[in-house]
Amino acid sequence: MSAAEIADIELVGVTKSYGGNVVVVDNVSLTVPRGEFVSILGPSGCGKTTTLNMIAGFHEPSSGEIRIRGRNQVGVPPEKRNIGLVFQNYALFPHMTVQENVAFGPKMKGQSKSETEEAVRSALKSVRLEGYESRYPKELSGGQQQRTALARAIAPRPSVLLLDEPLSNLDLKLREAMRIELKEVQQQLGMTFVYVTHDQEEAMSMSDRVVVMSDGVVAQEGRPSEIYQNPVSAFVADFIGKSNLLPVKQARDHDGRLTLTLGGGLSLVSERSGDIPANDITLCCIRPENVQLARKGASGENLLTGRVDKLVNLGAHAELWVDVSKDCLLKVQVPVRRLQGIEIGSHVDLLIESAAIQPLAH
Amino acid sequence: MSKLLSVGYWVFFSFILLFIALPMVVVLAASVSPTSHVTFEFWTWTLEWFGKLWTSKWLDPFILSAKIAAIVAVISGVLATLGAYAVAYEKCPGHDAIMSFLLSPLAVPQIVKGVAIVLFLSSAGLFRYLGTPGLIAGHIILTVPFAVRMIATSMYNFDKNLDRAARILGASWWQRIRYVLLPLIKPGIFSGMTFAFIISFNNVPLSLFLVRPGQSTLPITVINYFEYSLDPILAAVNVASLLFILAVIFLFERIGGFTVQIHGGSK
Repeated sequence: MSAAEIADIELVGVTKSYGGNVVVVDNVSLTVPRGEFVSILGPSGCGKTTTLNMIAGFHEPSSGEIRIRGRNQVGVPPEKRNIGLVFQNYALFPHMTVQENVAFGPKMKGQSKSETEEAVRSALKSVRLEGYESRYPKELSGGQQQRTALARAIAPRPSVLLLDEPLSNLDLKLREAMRIELKEVQQQLGMTFVYVTHDQEEAMSMSDRVVVMSDGVVAQEGRPSEIYQNPVSAFVADFIGKSNLLPVKQARDHDGRLTLTLGGGLSLVSERSGDIPANDITLCCIRPENVQLARKGASGENLLTGRVDKLVNLGAHAELWVDVSKDCLLKVQVPVRRLQGIEIGSHVDLLIESAAIQPLAH
Repeated sequence: MSKLLSVGYWVFFSFILLFIALPMVVVLAASVSPTSHVTFEFWTWTLEWFGKLWTSKWLDPFILSAKIAAIVAVISGVLATLGAYAVAYEKCPGHDAIMSFLLSPLAVPQIVKGVAIVLFLSSAGLFRYLGTPGLIAGHIILTVPFAVRMIATSMYNFDKNLDRAARILGASWWQRIRYVLLPLIKPGIFSGMTFAFIISFNNVPLSLFLVRPGQSTLPITVINYFEYSLDPILAAVNVASLLFILAVIFLFERIGGFTVQIHGGSK
C-alpha cells in the first residue's frame, strides 16, 4: 500500500465494555481516508462519544485495533497520538490569552518560538480570529471561543481532528454559520475531520460520509444523500429526517416491483425490491416530501385518499397529517402555496411515487 | 415597608461592623496612650510605646514567630497541595475517608494536641526538639487541615476537560501540572498558605506547650508580659502584629490573587 492509500483512521472490530457485560461499543469497524469529513451520528448513549474517546486515547478499547496512519495506537497515550480534539465546552485555558491558548500545542511539542508563532498566526487566520490574540477566553463571545478552540486544535497540525459536538452550545443562527465555516476550514487544510454529533442536520450538511450509530453498533454508513434516500432500518429512517414508517402485512414480488399490503385495506407498489427478500419486509418508509397532493379525479397506482387531521404551517412549507385509513396517519409535506382550500377536515388525494417507497426489514 | 426593612438592615449591619471594629479601635487608641496607665485622650498621644518595641525583648519573639509562620506556611502549602492532589484531583481509592482524616485534627482541642505532642516527644526521647522544630511540626498539624480544605476546593472546581485538552495537545503529566493545574489552583494554594501563616503566627494554645524558656514566640511573650503588667506596650504589640499580618496578606494576595477565592469572585 502506498502512503497515499493508508487511511488516516482505521477502526477494526473495536469493542468497549465495562465489567464484561455492559457493552458500550460493539465491534465497530470504520475506515476514514485522508482529508475526509466523517460524522458519527447517533442519539445520546449510542457509543459515539466513547468511540471518539478511544480514537483520542482517553479510553482503551476492550478488544479490536485502532490505527492512525497505519500505526496501531492501542497503548499509546493521548499526548503521543498527534490528534486534535475540539471539546463541547471548548475547554479553553482560562488563564491564557487566545495567543497562549493556540500556542500551547506547538509549544508542548517542542517547536521553536518562530515556528510556534507561525503556527499560531496561520491557525488564527484559518478561523478568522486575527486581532484577538491578547484577549482572554472570558472576554470572547461563544462563537469566538469556538473559533479559538478550533484554532488551538489545528495549530499543532494534527494528523486528524476530532470534534465532540462542538456547536451544541451556540445559538441556532451562529450554529448554521459555523457549519459552513467548519467545512471551509476542513477543505482548506485538507485535514481529516471526525465529527461526533446527535444533530442530523449538522452531520448531513458538512460530512462527506455519515456513520449512524445506535446501541453501540454502526447502523448505517454512507454519503449523506445515500443515507437519507436509502435508510436500511426504521431506526435510521426515523433518526435522519422525517419519515412515515408504515407496517407492512404482506409483500409480494413481481419482477422487481413489490406490492405491499398495509393495514386498513391499503396497498402500495414499490419499485425498490432491493436486497430484502419479500418475506422479510415488515415496514416501509416514505419521506413526507415524497407524498404529493394529487389533482381531483386523478387515477393510477399509489393513490390514497384521506382526511386532514392536523395542519402545521412552517413558513415555506406545511405539514399535513392525513388520515388515510383507520390506523394510518401519513405525514405529508407540501409547499404553502398548494394549501389553498385545504383545512383541517378537508379530504385530499395523495400520490406517492413508487420509487419513493423504501421497504425495510426492521 | 421595604424602606423600613432597608433602614433596619443598615442599622443592623452597622452594629455588626461596629462590633467587629470596636476592639481594634480601643487597642489602637490604647497603643498611643500618653501615660503608662492606659488612658484615652483624644488630644494627646504618643508613639513612644512603638519605639519601645524596637528592643530584642520584643523583636526576637517577633522574628521567631515570623520565621516559624513562614516555614509553616510553605510546608503546609506543599503538603496540602500534595494531599489535595491525591484526594480531590486524582480521587484516589478511599478519597472521602482520607479527606475526613485530613480534616480530623480540627476536631481535637489544641490543648489536647499540645499535651499529646509533649507527651510524645518526651516518651520518644525527642525532648530536645521542643522549641522551634516542635513549634513548626505542631503548627503544621494545626494548619494542614485548613490548607487542604482551601486547596481541595480549588481542585474540585477545576474542569477536568482542561487536563484532557492539554493532554491531547501533547502535554506530558508534568507539563499539565506546571502549565494548567498549578496556575489555576494558585489562588487556592496561596489562600491556604495565608491561613497557615496567620494561624501559626497568632497561635497560643499549642505554642504554650512547645516553646522553650528564653526562646518564645510573640503571642506567648505577650501573655507572659500580661501576667505582670498591663501597659500600652501590649496594645502597641497588637497593633504592630496586625499591621504585619495585613502586610503579609497583601503580599500573598499580590502573588496568589486569591481575593476571588475568598469572596466568591465579585472582582
